[in-house]
Amino acid sequence: MTATAATIDGHGGGETAPVSAYHDSLLRSPLFLGMVMFLGSEIMLFGSFFTIFFYLRFTHHPWPPTGIDVPKKPTGVNTAILISSSFTMHWALVSIKRNRRFGLICGLGLTLLLGLTFLALQIHEYLHLGFTPSNDAFTSGFFSLTGLHGFHVFVGASLLAMALLRSLRGHYSAGQHIGLEVTGLYWHFVDVVWIVLYTVVYLL
Amino acid sequence: MTTTTATSHDLQHAPSGGGWRRLLLHGGLVRALWMTPLFGAIGFGIVVLIRWGAGWHPILLTEPLVLVAALVAAPLGFLAGIGAFDYWAYYALGYPTRAEDHSGHGAQSWRDYFRVNTDHKVIGIQYLVTTMFFFVAGGLLAMLVRAELAKPGLQYFDEQTYNGLFSVHAALMIFLFIIPAFAGLANYVVPLMLGAADMAFPRLNALSFWLLPIAGIMMLSSFFMPGGAFACGWTGYATLCSQHQPIGAIFFNQGVQWAGASSIMTALNFLVTIITMRAPGLTFWRLPLLVWANFTTSLLVVIATPFIAGSQFFSMFDHVMHTAFFDPVGGGYPLGYQHIFWFYSHPAVYIMMLPGFGIMSEVIAVFSRKPIFGYRLMALSLMAIVVLGFSVWAHHMFVSGMSSWLRVPMMITTLLIAIPTGIKIFSWLATMWEGKLHLRTPMLFALGFLSMFVIGGLSGVMLGAVPIDIHVTDTYFVVAHIHYVLFGGSVFTIYAGVYHWFPKMTGKMYDEGLGKLHFWLTFVFFNATFMPMHWLGMEGMMRRIADYPSKWADLNFIISICAFVLGASTLVFIYNMAHSWWKGAPAPANPWRALTLEWQVTSPPPIFNFDEPPQVVGSPYAYGVPGARHAIVTVHVPPQPEEIPVPVALAQATPTQREAIMSALKHILVVANQTVAGERLIAAVRTRAAADPIRVTVICPQNDPSDTWVIDEAAVEAATRARLDATLAALRGAGIEASGYIVDRDPYTAVLDVVESDPPAEIIISTLPRTRSGWMRRDLVERLRDRTSLPVEHVVVDEPSESTRA
Repeated sequence: MTATAATIDGHGGGETAPVSAYHDSLLRSPLFLGMVMFLGSEIMLFGSFFTIFFYLRFTHHPWPPTGIDVPKKPTGVNTAILISSSFTMHWALVSIKRNRRFGLICGLGLTLLLGLTFLALQIHEYLHLGFTPSNDAFTSGFFSLTGLHGFHVFVGASLLAMALLRSLRGHYSAGQHIGLEVTGLYWHFVDVVWIVLYTVVYLL
Repeated sequence: MTTTTATSHDLQHAPSGGGWRRLLLHGGLVRALWMTPLFGAIGFGIVVLIRWGAGWHPILLTEPLVLVAALVAAPLGFLAGIGAFDYWAYYALGYPTRAEDHSGHGAQSWRDYFRVNTDHKVIGIQYLVTTMFFFVAGGLLAMLVRAELAKPGLQYFDEQTYNGLFSVHAALMIFLFIIPAFAGLANYVVPLMLGAADMAFPRLNALSFWLLPIAGIMMLSSFFMPGGAFACGWTGYATLCSQHQPIGAIFFNQGVQWAGASSIMTALNFLVTIITMRAPGLTFWRLPLLVWANFTTSLLVVIATPFIAGSQFFSMFDHVMHTAFFDPVGGGYPLGYQHIFWFYSHPAVYIMMLPGFGIMSEVIAVFSRKPIFGYRLMALSLMAIVVLGFSVWAHHMFVSGMSSWLRVPMMITTLLIAIPTGIKIFSWLATMWEGKLHLRTPMLFALGFLSMFVIGGLSGVMLGAVPIDIHVTDTYFVVAHIHYVLFGGSVFTIYAGVYHWFPKMTGKMYDEGLGKLHFWLTFVFFNATFMPMHWLGMEGMMRRIADYPSKWADLNFIISICAFVLGASTLVFIYNMAHSWWKGAPAPANPWRALTLEWQVTSPPPIFNFDEPPQVVGSPYAYGVPGARHAIVTVHVPPQPEEIPVPVALAQATPTQREAIMSALKHILVVANQTVAGERLIAAVRTRAAADPIRVTVICPQNDPSDTWVIDEAAVEAATRARLDATLAALRGAGIEASGYIVDRDPYTAVLDVVESDPPAEIIISTLPRTRSGWMRRDLVERLRDRTSLPVEHVVVDEPSESTRA
């Protein structure tokens, strides 16, 4: 049972019960719907960051400015790490749908581990870049976009840690895992944003 | 908070122990009192540690410390302390989820309004009272602005303080009053209108409310910072706000973030609630327009608000971290701020208007007693405004130096938006056309809104035209326009909504006389204050400047006096609300005879709103349509019958005797309104009494008199009551068992209700002659004969003799 789905009908029905007994809906659950809409809002938040980044990019030449070099290849490896974590997340979800706890715990654990590795490598990159946010327009945009994304990875990793803790304590079942589904949705979103971000900030 | 109330709200996982321990550890204001500084200190420590570890000097730098400790960590501590995160904290730590015990639901005493409460009705009132507080605070700031402007030259404040006054005034009114006041009204009303027990995410709902006081206090407290409040206008343009302002500026940046987070969470909640929690039969095309309005507003909030979050992040980074987003020296792009800011803030104009449109549709339909005109187009025009609203942002930037080719496309889209808005205005006018206007306070504010919003809309069209805009940019013409739209528009609709739903929310009636006094004071002095500003703006008086040439002294003095009276008119409102809530007359369930679901339950509604999910069967606006119903609401505990006078002979009988007597008598149902005391009707009843022992039930369906256009409801009811009493007296005088009551229903459904509950043997209907009778025009007699298969006698009043008797 998840945090907010519990009182969806005002009477403490869990997520196995429909939203309300009388409402026939194609939606999986209100929590899932809420997460989808929240991600719409998140896309707009990243959109505002990309917007200012593009404004700056198209008013500057050369871009990035001479003397500033972003580590494309090491970050490429880091990208692969983050993308692979989406697959382990999917493994965890498929496992719980078939009621296999081993797969669930391994999947979640690996996803969390990969996510934390990504974060650690990003922090390492920050410390060895050789420039700071206040250098110029490019570095401002670089740090704010990667920083915003890093914060989202941190939030996602916290959600994963909670899910892992609950899995270890025997929560979730084949019929009751909406909390995992929304966590997974969020995690996939964070991955997809990173692919766009890596392309726009590092490669282009 | 006392121990007893704490016990009654005991949670499963609440720490056990004595009074003091419980008070300190239990979620609430006392725990918030120590957790807020604790979290603040932790935030302080983190910043110091990072700066020390990285070797940045000085280690104790004011701006990052204030930002992290006071504006981020301490508010989180407050939220954790008050208990907004309790459930999620247990969840995160892997505890079994607690079964909801609803201890945080509903309000038994005033203390329950000061704690985390998950009941949408309590949250709605929390929202409204909080926003009213910030409305008064923002209003007082406006009074100070007008005091300074009453004379040319500097009287009371220096320029920087003056700039702070109008900046905080606007920020409070927009982010802490108009947007959340609508959210509060919708919080109360929307779940009821949907036939739902609560919002989809009640805990998220509670959290969104508690972010508001944080945002408001943040903005107000910027006055106490060294260098004064943020003073770059509510638009916070870079680079002025991002570099050249004292530390108060980041209080604005962060305050907007908290308020924005609150409105995004509320909007998500509304969207999910409206999509998944509608009662059976409540399709999207049967939704009341208030629900439609909040649906579209929520879409706008979810899509647009992240952009103001972005703009305030960049501005704050420039201020605190010295990034170069908007600083041309570092290669930044100053216009970028305006583009991103207005990409939110123009849609925000509709965020501040669409819920008001919804309130207007409810109020105008109810108080005109007519179905809303063009229902589907009303809903679709809301969607059209949402879509078009995203394509007009740069009309705020005609003189900013942006690419000049953007001007004409933005002008065209701006003028296009007048079309869906015009559809709405004309639909409201058509709704009132030939309706029966009940000029109660909500309707007065609705009419005030219509006229004022048209003026504000037209000056908006003028400003949308590039040449005029270039002439009047940053003058008092713009100030007049924004106040006609936001005060004459949004605030009037908020007033209308608060008066309209006050009986539902509090279970008390407000004072109608004071309400009307409030309206007329507001309406007259609002115009007297803001209308002259159009002239000042055309002549070139610039806004946001503390001083002005003495040639405008007279007009400004008059404006200031009128503004003070306008401010004072709010006192009438506050007194009326507070006093009526405390000592007002009890409100019936449905004082306005409205059809929407919230009026079909008691005032105030029961804690989970409906005993059973209502079955919706038709339009919410079928006013004046015979036999039309919006929904069937099942109430488990039957309401007390309206005061039916006990017949004389039965007064002393025991209940069993009484039942025997009653069932032995032949039941005759008399239906009449204006003709109820008519001689022919009495004679017809007497004829029957001579033949059989009978008992008579008289019902007066109180529909509106057909010969007047504007209706005084109290007078109509009093007149009906007098006629009914006269009839009952006449019948009882003739020794007939008679009882009767007034029903607030269409006669056809009213009769069917009686036929169902207490079947009569015969029905007598009395009307005016065919030419003057609305009931006859609607074939009431024939339809009842067909439907009930009972003998129905039709008595036409003998008009000449009645009129001489009267």
